[in-house]
Amino acid sequence: MDNEITLSFIAKSENEALARMVMSSFIAAIDPTIEELSEFKTVISEAVTNAIVHGYEEDGTGKIEIHARREDREIVVSIVDYGRGIRDVNQAREPLFTTKPDEERSGMGFTIMESFSDDVEIYSIPNRGTTVTITKRFVPIQETSRIV
Amino acid sequence: MHHEVEKVGDEIIIIRLKGELDHHSTQEIRDEIVPMIKNGTIKVLVWNLKDLNFMDSSGIGLILGRMRELAPIDGQTIIVNPSETMRKIFQFAGLSPYICSDSEIDIMSKLGGIVYGQ
Repeated sequence: MDNEITLSFIAKSENEALARMVMSSFIAAIDPTIEELSEFKTVISEAVTNAIVHGYEEDGTGKIEIHARREDREIVVSIVDYGRGIRDVNQAREPLFTTKPDEERSGMGFTIMESFSDDVEIYSIPNRGTTVTITKRFVPIQETSRIV
Repeated sequence: MHHEVEKVGDEIIIIRLKGELDHHSTQEIRDEIVPMIKNGTIKVLVWNLKDLNFMDSSGIGLILGRMRELAPIDGQTIIVNPSETMRKIFQFAGLSPYICSDSEIDIMSKLGGIVYGQ
């Protein structure tokens, strides 16, 4: 294992930016492309927002943990909450499905997480919490062409 | 998030988003724009994302929400200058047709013809 961190914070929306910032710093060592970094930040943002909005209904007291590890150019991140859980995980994954249309949640969270990563696993128990584990493999750094 | 909201005449609002747009920062923008739309004269919303460094699906919710409010009066939504990642997110949500490659100035001059020429 190359590196590993755990981050724990209160489920407040202002911490969404903090989670993105910490995770961006965590992957800086593998020198991602601008596109990869931007997609990775989006994935983190979607998962953390889900935990705040759905897991804890924005109660501002629940705890969210992020466990991240890096092995070579593969990052595995788990976003953990101890909130209300997801009753039907398959339904939650469906594009445009949302339990909160009134709050203008687009229902695109899991679609974006799946599109911008290599694997998304959801483990959830109603009233116990949800763990979303995301795997993203970053492309190898291109060797710079030799000047002749 | 220090966005700019500019009303051009009675019918156009230009929203220049800056910094990062997420679930936390959408609330503030929504609170500012919704009363302007409810006013009744607005027909076009231009979202300029040139200075926006980050957007997640909260941005989709924000834009779709305003499109719904404009729908009864056949209002128009125009998105300019999205990043590559934002472009993909708009595509997932079916919003690609609303992305315009013209500059804000070109759009305004075209809109001048459409909106005021009726």
